[in-house]
Parts: sequence; C-alpha cells; structure tokens
Amino acid sequence: MAMDRQHPDLTLASPQPPILDQRQDAGWDARIALGFTKSEKNTVLSRREHQGPLRVQKPLYPEANGICHTILLHPPGGIVAGDHLHIAIELETLSHALITTPGASKWYRSPGPLAVQQLTIHVREGGVLEWLPQESIVFDQAKVDIHNQITLAAHAVYFGWDLFCLGRRASGEGFTRGTLNFLTRIERDGKPLWMERALLQGGSRLLTSPAGLDEYSVHATFVAVSDKMDAELLARCRLIQPSEENTLHGLTLLPSVLIARYLGHSAQAARHWMTRIWQTLRPPLTGYAATIPRIWST
Amino acid sequence: MIAPSWIRLIQLISPLLPVGAYTYSQGLEWAVERGRVHDQSSACVWIKDCLEYGCALFDAVYIAHMIQAWKSNDTTQALKWNDDLLASRESVELRAETLQMGLSLRRLLLDLDCFPAQPLQQCEQCSFPLGWSYAAVQWNINADQAVMGYLWSWLENQVLAAVKLIPLGQTAGQSLLLKLGPLLPHLTAKAMDTPISRAANYMPALAIASCCHETQYTRLFRS
Repeated sequence: MAMDRQHPDLTLASPQPPILDQRQDAGWDARIALGFTKSEKNTVLSRREHQGPLRVQKPLYPEANGICHTILLHPPGGIVAGDHLHIAIELETLSHALITTPGASKWYRSPGPLAVQQLTIHVREGGVLEWLPQESIVFDQAKVDIHNQITLAAHAVYFGWDLFCLGRRASGEGFTRGTLNFLTRIERDGKPLWMERALLQGGSRLLTSPAGLDEYSVHATFVAVSDKMDAELLARCRLIQPSEENTLHGLTLLPSVLIARYLGHSAQAARHWMTRIWQTLRPPLTGYAATIPRIWST
Repeated sequence: MIAPSWIRLIQLISPLLPVGAYTYSQGLEWAVERGRVHDQSSACVWIKDCLEYGCALFDAVYIAHMIQAWKSNDTTQALKWNDDLLASRESVELRAETLQMGLSLRRLLLDLDCFPAQPLQQCEQCSFPLGWSYAAVQWNINADQAVMGYLWSWLENQVLAAVKLIPLGQTAGQSLLLKLGPLLPHLTAKAMDTPISRAANYMPALAIASCCHETQYTRLFRS
C-alpha cells in the first residue's frame, strides 16, 4: 500500500515541480469516503473514512441554517504521476452539504503514468450537494484523468463546477504536451441527465480551434440540477457578465439542468462569474441565500 | 452488380429526406454574426474542426455502436446509447435539433412501412443517429458506409449553412465540399474503431456559440 511510502515534498512554493521516476506504481492511492445525514437541526458529517493523504477539516456551520460546509484537503499540495484519488460522497435524504477545497489543485507533469481522480457522488431524495472546488491547474506535460459520476434521487439538487487552467500562463507556460481527459456523468432515476467527455491533447488543434478552446487557457463548466429549474432563472443568470474582458461564455437550459460555460484567461474571473450564477440560483432552488465560503478569500 | 443497399444509402443521404436538416446551423450562425467565420477559408476552418473534433468523434462513434446493437437485436443497448447521446447534447437547441430530426425520420420510416419498425416505436425520444442507424441496418447498408453517409450529410448541411450565412457563391460551396470530403474515409475508419468510452463531445467554443445563438437577435436557422 502507498501509505507508508515516502512521498516527494511538493510544497506550494516549489518553482520546479518534481518528476517521479518511471515506476508504474509511484504515487498515492488516496481514498476518502464522506457520508452526510440530516439530524434534527443540522446536516452532520456522519461518516468519514480515509486512506492516504486525503482529509477533511472539522465541518463548519457558517450559515446558521444547518448546512454542513466541508473543506477537502490534499496535504501533498499537488497531484503527481501515478496518484489515484478516490473521493466518494453520499448525502442521505434531505441532507445539505457544501464541499470546497482550500486552494487550487495542481496536476504536475508526468513522465508517463496517469494521475487519476475519481469522484463519486450520491444524493438521496431531497438532498442538496454543492461541489465547488477551487481550480485545477494542469501543468504542461501532465497526464490527467478525471471521472465524475453523480447519481441523484428524485428532487435532489446538485450544484457543481470544474474549472481548469491549462499550463501556467503567468509564467509563459502553455499546454504543449500531455493529456487532460475528463468525464462527467449525471444520472437521475437511473437515466443519464447530462454527460460531457473531453479528451484534450497538449498542443492539439482542439486547443486553438475557434470552435474548440479558441486559445483560451481557462475553461470552466458550471452545472446546476433541479426539477425546479426554469426559463426565468436562466434569464436572470444570463444578465450576469464576467469581470474579465474578451471571454466567451454562454448558458443554456436542458431538461432539469442549467449549464454555464466559460472560456477566458483568468481563473479568478471564471470562478467569480460562476459564483454569481450559483448565488442567483441557490435561493430559489434551495430556499437559502448563498454566502461565499471564507476560505475562497484567504 | 451494384448492391441494392447503395440506392437506399443514397436515398438516406439525399437532402430530399424530409427531416428539415437545412434549418439548422449548429452554432455557425452565431460564429458568422460574431465575425469569427466571414469567408470561405474561415468557414473551412470552422467546419473542418467541428467535423474532426465534434461530429466524427461523437455522433459517428455512436452510430457505429448503435448499428452493432441493432444488428445483435439488442434494442435495450441501442436505446441506452440513445439516452447517452441525448444527455450529451451541449445546448437546448442542439438537443432539440437531433430530437426533431430523429422524430421526423422515425415518423417517416413508420409511415413508409417498408420494414418492421417496432423497436423504433418504443423510443419516444429518438435522436437522429438512432433513427439513421436503424434505417441503415434495415436496409442492409454497411456500417462504415452508413457512418460516412451521416458525416457527408452533416458536412453538406454545414456548407449549405455557410453559403447562405456568409454568404458564399455556389462554387465556393462546392470547393469546400471538394476540400473536406476526402477527410471522410479516414474519419469514418477512426470512428468505427473507437470504443464508446472514447467518444468525446468537448468543444466549448462551439457549445457557447450554440448557447449564444439562443438569444441572437436575427436568425435564419433554428440552431
């Protein structure tokens, strides 16, 4: 098992990300399983099992309405070749949780093996999950596989986003080699409600194509699922303008699903835009005003 | 002798097929409005990229798998691919497009009464690729020819939209088909070899173009 193996020190400040040697098994097998249950007053984090370097902080209740805020930590600070992260989240009937991360996830370059993140979410009847992690920075030559499987029961509400920065634009790094593959699949009542699958090759035509990523380094998708979603909410969200100029952004309403997409160069502006859409949707869909998690401003 | 299935393929590909394909631009109308597509060469870039990274990597792969499912009489599997395909449509207009064309084709095939269409009848949300794959199997069209036929009708339709929107002359339109058509055999072979788990539908700027088309002020096309 990977737990007793020495893991390279990946501090946030390290200017040159390390490359592991080519052992296929190099890297962590980290797992965390979280279960949320509705008690009389609060949603409680009733189950927490972990193996390897994935942790959660003590649940917070900053809203005084029983919604459980949970911060998911990956103390190594970055994900390297061969790492496998498994995150399983279950929300029991009528529970409500918001999960975020303390900072950007960094996906370092790989000499060969993939780095994998598998997220499995189950939300039971009437539950609400807000999966709002901070951005993923995909270094040049990283090899990343992300798989999000979300299963919703009737009347469940889900807010989630994925925000990617390809390369580190500020230091002149692009995404010339490597891969970023991700799949998001949302099911409700046993039927697929929404799916998106990307196979992005570093340096490929898709990254520069006017119909692809159009040379933007930041791309993000926000998804909101609720059976109460309607055209009036879409119209209100469409009024929200990004703080960054010259972006491409658009919203659409599929059955029970609102999708907001963003292409730009600023992860902060992308998150800000998606946050304002989330803030617009949260009161009508859950009955609670949205307060921004404090950790985002630290 | 030429196989009779050839003539069926030509009938399926023909713009006379009453499914209303010519009313859709798939985001091209907004790309023209925004100026990203403004002449023959920018139209060529847009259509080529959408073909290679969109239609051929996604719809074509699904059609190949749907044909396999129909051939093994596995209606459940074919309808499962249909559900996945519909869930993967990037915008409400792109979803409405494939549903309207699929349901028109389904109705036509039921009205023609030329082969048993019960499995299609079971499907109330019939995507265009599902109807196309079913007709291809019933008419004994080879899977690769059916896939290439689908790509050709898609391509022809995009070129027609570009000719109307930019606008371009008829010769420019034919020149686009002359240039992009030869890509189809290779893209077809690739689609036939691609497992369903490698079908990709991520073209964010195209998806955004389609979203923006929903609120575009003047529009000729329905997508």
